[in-house]
Amino acid sequence: MSRFILRRVLYSLVTLFILSATIFVIVRLTGDPLALMAEASARPEDLDRIRHQWGLDRSWPVQYATFMQNAFKGELGKSFNYRLPVSELYFQRLPNSLTLGIAATLISLLIGVPAGIISAVKVNTWWDYVAKGVALLGLSIPGFWLGLVLILVFSVWLRWLPTSGAGDWRHVVMPALALGWYFAASMLRLTRSSMLEVLGSEYIKLARLKGLPDVVVIAMHAFKNALIPVFTLAGVNLVVMVNAAVIIEVIFAWPGIGRLLYEGIFQRDFPLVQGVVIMAGFMIVAINLVVDILYAFIDPRIRLTR
Amino acid sequence: MRRPRFEARVSFRVLAVVLLLLAAVSTALPLASPAGAAAKGKLVLAWHAGFASRWLDPQEHDGTATPDNFFTALHDALIKNQGTELYDHLALAERFTVAADSRSATFTLRKGIRFHNGEPVTPQDVKFSYESYRGAKADVFKKKTERVEIVDDRTVRFQFKEPFLDFAILFGTANVAGPGWVVPEKYYKQVGADGFKQKPIGAGPYKLVRHEPGVKVEMEAFDGYYRPVHVKQLVMTAVPEAATRVVMLERGEADIVYNVPGELIGKVSKLPGVTLAPVLSGSFFIEFPGFQDPKNPFRDKRVREAVSLAIDRRAMNQAETAGHGRVTGNWINPDVQYAIEWPEFERNVDKAKQLLREAGYPNGFDVDWVTPLPTFYSRGERIIAQLREVGIRGRLQTMERGIFFQRLQGGLKEFPGTQIILHGVRIAGSWSFWYEGYFKCGGFNSRDRICVKDLDAKFDQYERSVSPTERKKLAEEIQRGILENHYLVPVFRHAFVNAIGPRVVAQKWQDVFPTVTTGYAYPWEDLKVKDQ
Repeated sequence: MSRFILRRVLYSLVTLFILSATIFVIVRLTGDPLALMAEASARPEDLDRIRHQWGLDRSWPVQYATFMQNAFKGELGKSFNYRLPVSELYFQRLPNSLTLGIAATLISLLIGVPAGIISAVKVNTWWDYVAKGVALLGLSIPGFWLGLVLILVFSVWLRWLPTSGAGDWRHVVMPALALGWYFAASMLRLTRSSMLEVLGSEYIKLARLKGLPDVVVIAMHAFKNALIPVFTLAGVNLVVMVNAAVIIEVIFAWPGIGRLLYEGIFQRDFPLVQGVVIMAGFMIVAINLVVDILYAFIDPRIRLTR
Repeated sequence: MRRPRFEARVSFRVLAVVLLLLAAVSTALPLASPAGAAAKGKLVLAWHAGFASRWLDPQEHDGTATPDNFFTALHDALIKNQGTELYDHLALAERFTVAADSRSATFTLRKGIRFHNGEPVTPQDVKFSYESYRGAKADVFKKKTERVEIVDDRTVRFQFKEPFLDFAILFGTANVAGPGWVVPEKYYKQVGADGFKQKPIGAGPYKLVRHEPGVKVEMEAFDGYYRPVHVKQLVMTAVPEAATRVVMLERGEADIVYNVPGELIGKVSKLPGVTLAPVLSGSFFIEFPGFQDPKNPFRDKRVREAVSLAIDRRAMNQAETAGHGRVTGNWINPDVQYAIEWPEFERNVDKAKQLLREAGYPNGFDVDWVTPLPTFYSRGERIIAQLREVGIRGRLQTMERGIFFQRLQGGLKEFPGTQIILHGVRIAGSWSFWYEGYFKCGGFNSRDRICVKDLDAKFDQYERSVSPTERKKLAEEIQRGILENHYLVPVFRHAFVNAIGPRVVAQKWQDVFPTVTTGYAYPWEDLKVKDQ
């Protein structure tokens, strides 16, 4: 088991290393940040000064080595725009993103899981068709459009909720709904397919043959097993929502990490983009690592086959 | 007889003492009354992008027309652009003089001015702010300045190594450079440059209460300011999505919103109590990269003129800014020093076709790419459609903003073949900054795409000249040379459309946007909100 864990940790580190190198190169391929940092009538002296100030006059390998050296110490560099350590900016925004992400995850679970179960249990009935329609809409309606419609209805017409920004619970409702809606659809589809798979399995058939009522079969036997992949997906979705809810955070002026990333990309703030991507990658890798280890604990075949 | 006289004398003395005391109090505390006491209410500005913390520190002015929105609230300069004054509005300075030979400039500070932390604004702070300035054009100031002298406790003198004719205009234009914006030396050194950007202390009409980097800046009226400040709380919040900004205005969550895009102008103009503020902004103009190449059709002046004749500027203005922009003849904004007025160019499709025939293009020709400034792609499409009427056939090339500027700065190799670029530019201060940035051979954005030697030679002469009369003459000659030869083709002046909510006191939009050199709503201290 310890060898298995060690191997998974090693894979995770390699993944993070590849991610860091990839994002480092990709942000630099977008061009020179000085194009956006300097004024129209800048002189070469101005450009040299700015380039030197941010270490952009050094070669890429040197810049990367410095970046990695700092990353190992927990420093992700300093933002060009905000003049603050990226880690500080990240953790300033993290509570807002967690609030939004958790609220959206709850919404996606509350909508997706029950609808998926009903759809699977009542397969090929109008319940199922409605659920599939909802899933289709959820996956196809663009988040920005849904966000604007929610603002129009709840802020402009009904005047129940504030349009934007962060504050009390009322500020969270619309962005969480707009963000959770898409993920609810994917939850619904996964729950449905997972439930259908479980409902067709031998032990469910046996349970039914034993004469157990449907409610018991579904709740006690099928539901628990079908939920394993659903909650795994919910964990990964949460990380994505926390780190990359770019459009929703921009529409609702929500001060989260997604908006930070958007501004970083827009302004070619290399350290900021690198830092946010590395942090998001770290979270995903960490969650996958934990899940892998848990699976290995639960099912010994996994650690033997890898 | 003596007693009444004594009483009269005593009364006179008492009156004199009272008057003297009043005078002393009004001199020593000129600021206690004007600002804070009368300030009331709250004003929320919805800003149209993210905030960069560097915009809160004048020491690192990036030279763009953006930081002045924040400087003018938190900080103050010796002189600045305000209202119709381009650069010489007296702010922290009570008066200033530039020596006749332009080798020195002397500023006298107002009495009793203070920073938000209560420390007085001193000549030493002025000297520090100037000498430690490291933002845009810092090298120009450093190269030309011999020393900064503190003459007395209110006077500071800048001595230059050579005549520095552009000093005042560079020094006083908030959207060009920042060495004239005074920061408190002691505090700046204490917290460091990065600490200062998070918690700036200035001498402006508003002091910082809370700063969420990139999200929100909350400020409160500074009761030590030398002018009355009317609104108690000023909040600037970043709302990147235009539709959200408009809804905030509609719901009363914001009082001023910047940058209402064309498609929302109609909606905003119908909102009850809301006033549109179409502030004239940058100029849009056409460039022909590499037109000197003998194989380039734009080498022929008649072809360039045909392009100018084909452009329907009024239609463009109407379609793109609901007519709020302005069709002007010069590609340089008139609100900068030595910009010349030029009549509107005519539209004449028949004449354009005739010129193309004469130039040897009876069937027109193909343009490889027409590239507009991002994100004004629809303007590029209109240019293409209008040019097609005279037989010039082009295709639209869209770019991300950063890529666009990077390619501009890459020079002609980034725009090979026959190309058209539609620029949109706003630079404050002097006409020369426009020339230097967008026309001069080797300029930051023009690079080697345009190289007109005789005009560049005149520009060098302009830069060397120490005679204002000669400089003005040269500036006018150069601008005429560009326009008469159609080296650049002016299209129109863009309108930066903002909107003002019903809580703000305004008879007309210019009451809120009185400063002609900017699209922003400063001076902030003059804004008022209605009683709530």
